[in-house]
Amino acid sequence: MGPLVRKLTLRAAAVFLLALPAQAAVPPDQAIRDWYRLVIELVRHTPTYSPPVASRAFAYVGVTAQEALATDPEGPLLSLAGQANGLGPGPARDPGAHDAGAVVNAALAVTVRAMFANTGPTGQRALDAMERRLTEAAEAALPPDVAARSAAHGRAVAAHVLAWAEGDGGAVVDNLGFPEAWRAPVEPSQWVPTSAIPLQQAPLLPEWGRNRPFAKPGSDCPLPPHPPYSEDPGSAFWAEAAEVHAVWRTLTPEQGAIAQFWADDAMLSPTPPGHWVSIALQILARDGADGARHAEVLALLGMAVADAFIACWDEKYDHDLLRPVTYIRRHIDPKFQSVLITPPFPEYPSGHSVQSGAAEAVLAHLFGDPFAFEDDTHADDGLPARTFASFREAAEEAGISRLYGGIHYRAAIENGLEQGRCIGGRFTQIRTRR
Amino acid sequence: MIRLALMLSAATAPAAAQTFAPQQAGLDDGTYAGGWQFMVGGGAAAFDCSGDGFPDLYIAGGAEPARMYVNESPSGGPLAFRRLPDAATDLNDVTGAYPLDVDGDGITDLAVLRVGENVLLRGLGDCRFERANEVWGFTGGDGWTTAFAAIWEAGQDWPTLATGDYVDRREEAFPWGSCTPNHLFRADGRGFAPPLDLLPSHCPLSIMFTDWNRDGTADLRMSNDREYYKGGQEQMWAIPPGQPPRLYTQEDGWRYLRLWGMGIASRDTTGDGLPEYFLTSMADNKFQTLADPAAGRPDFADIAFRSGVTAHRPHAGDEFRPSTAWHAQFEDVDNDGHADLWVAKGNVAQMPDFAILDPNNLLMQQADGTFAEASVAAGVASMRTARGGVLADFDLDGRVDILAVNRWEAPEIWHNTTEGAGNWVQFRPELPGANRDAIGAWIEVRTEAGVQPREVFVGAGHVSGHLGWWHFGLGPAERAEVRVIWPHGQAGDWQEVTAGKFYVLRPGAAPVGWTAPR
Repeated sequence: MGPLVRKLTLRAAAVFLLALPAQAAVPPDQAIRDWYRLVIELVRHTPTYSPPVASRAFAYVGVTAQEALATDPEGPLLSLAGQANGLGPGPARDPGAHDAGAVVNAALAVTVRAMFANTGPTGQRALDAMERRLTEAAEAALPPDVAARSAAHGRAVAAHVLAWAEGDGGAVVDNLGFPEAWRAPVEPSQWVPTSAIPLQQAPLLPEWGRNRPFAKPGSDCPLPPHPPYSEDPGSAFWAEAAEVHAVWRTLTPEQGAIAQFWADDAMLSPTPPGHWVSIALQILARDGADGARHAEVLALLGMAVADAFIACWDEKYDHDLLRPVTYIRRHIDPKFQSVLITPPFPEYPSGHSVQSGAAEAVLAHLFGDPFAFEDDTHADDGLPARTFASFREAAEEAGISRLYGGIHYRAAIENGLEQGRCIGGRFTQIRTRR
Repeated sequence: MIRLALMLSAATAPAAAQTFAPQQAGLDDGTYAGGWQFMVGGGAAAFDCSGDGFPDLYIAGGAEPARMYVNESPSGGPLAFRRLPDAATDLNDVTGAYPLDVDGDGITDLAVLRVGENVLLRGLGDCRFERANEVWGFTGGDGWTTAFAAIWEAGQDWPTLATGDYVDRREEAFPWGSCTPNHLFRADGRGFAPPLDLLPSHCPLSIMFTDWNRDGTADLRMSNDREYYKGGQEQMWAIPPGQPPRLYTQEDGWRYLRLWGMGIASRDTTGDGLPEYFLTSMADNKFQTLADPAAGRPDFADIAFRSGVTAHRPHAGDEFRPSTAWHAQFEDVDNDGHADLWVAKGNVAQMPDFAILDPNNLLMQQADGTFAEASVAAGVASMRTARGGVLADFDLDGRVDILAVNRWEAPEIWHNTTEGAGNWVQFRPELPGANRDAIGAWIEVRTEAGVQPREVFVGAGHVSGHLGWWHFGLGPAERAEVRVIWPHGQAGDWQEVTAGKFYVLRPGAAPVGWTAPR
């Protein structure tokens, strides 16, 4: 399937209901796809949705889909209760027939509304429209008792997931994630603000690393230290900064395109977690996957990437390392200008890299390795699709894109990818099917 | 001799603490109402439609009818307006309006922007109007229009209009990426040719024709709302006379910038004769100046942080959440010779991550070019949900007053009561025949403190515009010199004027004094 066909498939998802035969119920894969398309938009258009916050939402939405379908005793899926950290058994289904699409639609409607309760008027209007269309389609095709029973169960599952989510430490994001004040650096190695945006004079979400992870406590995924900070031109740290500077001076069009493709800036894109979700959705659409497959892929991917952000943010504020733009301007070239917008938080490790390593591990586990695919996530923004021979190749390109963009040193990328793969590996141990 | 006299008239600047008095003024009989389709908009037009020189008002009502008010204020206040009901102007679904004299008959007309068909209203005098879409060949469309600007291109005796349209309002679940085309209406005789689509279109909430490099030809700036575009950015179109519009690119020097663009204010605040641009947004307003004026490239650097005009969160009240900024306008409210900046603030609605109680800003320009917040002390720090507005001298006392249009609440108007304000002078440029109000001209006022240039434009702000007197604060100067660089580059001579007066400026003629009739 070429990119155009795949693009059309994705675009068609949300208008599916317009062409729905009068008596057809909404299949669960379609309900999941429709809601995810909206979630990707809401992530882009809800101001608190920086990448860590987005990763959390994707995780809980994915788990909701998994749990909504896993309560079907005759279905293929297994509940994540007892496997995901702190998630207990959810509500059982009442006696009587249920419709899988109606269950998952009702469940996702509740979870998505809760996750995006703070979205703006356009997002609220879109949420209303999506829920109305999917619910009306289900009700039109199902016996009233089945529709009502299914919707009630979906809502109960969502309530269970949301109760679990409430206590994870990430539910409240104030001031778009920026603290009111921040400590002044005392060491030259420490992060300092890199933009003239007032809000960003303090770093993003310094407490995010304390959130409850989705994986149960187990083996560590240690992050090696970065080269010791030094201002000596002969040091390894200087060499890393010099590499960023050299790449900036000799940036090729292809490197520039890679930097832009993976930039995934908050509020201007689906964010990095949304980019990997978009990749998964493209593959699922291409393969004609059913609802169960959608749910398990999105649940595992969502949790792995969310844990990657928690771990990464914990490390970032532990290392508290300055960005290349700061170091290079101080010591190498005062005119250095990063190609990408330097994110407003410490450098080490690279969030793109940790989360891409985690996504790579989970997707390779689910789809195989190598697994070739094409990624047209940014078609609407005018960026051409890119092709990859494997998830590893995509993850490594996502990682190195940050060096091309002038915002990360190599160690943050290479060590971050490895840490991410380790984190993702935790989720390959989770059983999603009976 | 004049220079010497100006020097002798200079003294230390008056230390005036600007004050304003809120007034009912007869404007509290309506609101900017409505739901989602009116989350943006809420503009006003200030212009003289009664012929007495005082600025009258036309205020958008959204889901309520728009309202025309005749200014009955005496000179020196208090401010007083009388509602003038008329089916021609009491239009529904109005987002904003801009005054301009389309047909050059000396009676100001009105461009009314709407959710639905835009309407050009031909002025008839005495604040009466008639629909002119058909007679002028104007295609009003059926969009969601949120921006407007006008210019008279070189060699044309009929204006070129630009409209900026927002999202496809019929898209419910996925409106993002559905920005509808902006349009350029060029002259066709004494009417308009079918509009050109200005593509790509990125949901502007403010546009203006502006001669950013003072080369005599205005380009079209667009401040776009990144909430709704995909693949978009801030834009500027070159509009060469008789040629198709051309979008400036990064190769030209135009920087890739994306923001929730909501309003544009323009004024030279650095003293180099070139305009700076204040761009309103959410949490992060921009203030742009040419990075390298000598290079002649449209490469603008952001100086908001160093200028103290980020205005990114409420300056008063208990809220810490970031601000939402809409209309912005530079005017010298204390007449100290430094243009100040007023910014209308207000939550979009249902945006809990942004301040709900979000006071408007009055940022007073200091002698060093930085700005200091003064709206609380001045009495204009309203917590209502503002959108558009106009700063104009509504009672012609030489001090600029403030109107704010609020969503779901009545407009507010503040009478400038500043004691000890500096001196002032106001001008109305006038051309014979077409382009009567000299849109595209620059008025330059010179005192010992320097030259203050003002571009004469129709556009910018947040769906709000004014036409009429162009106000200059003079500080302690009792006299000044004025000249006009008429549209497309012909400079008039410097001519002496006296502080505290109104003048009509015509090409090749001495300034003609004007006195308010009451």
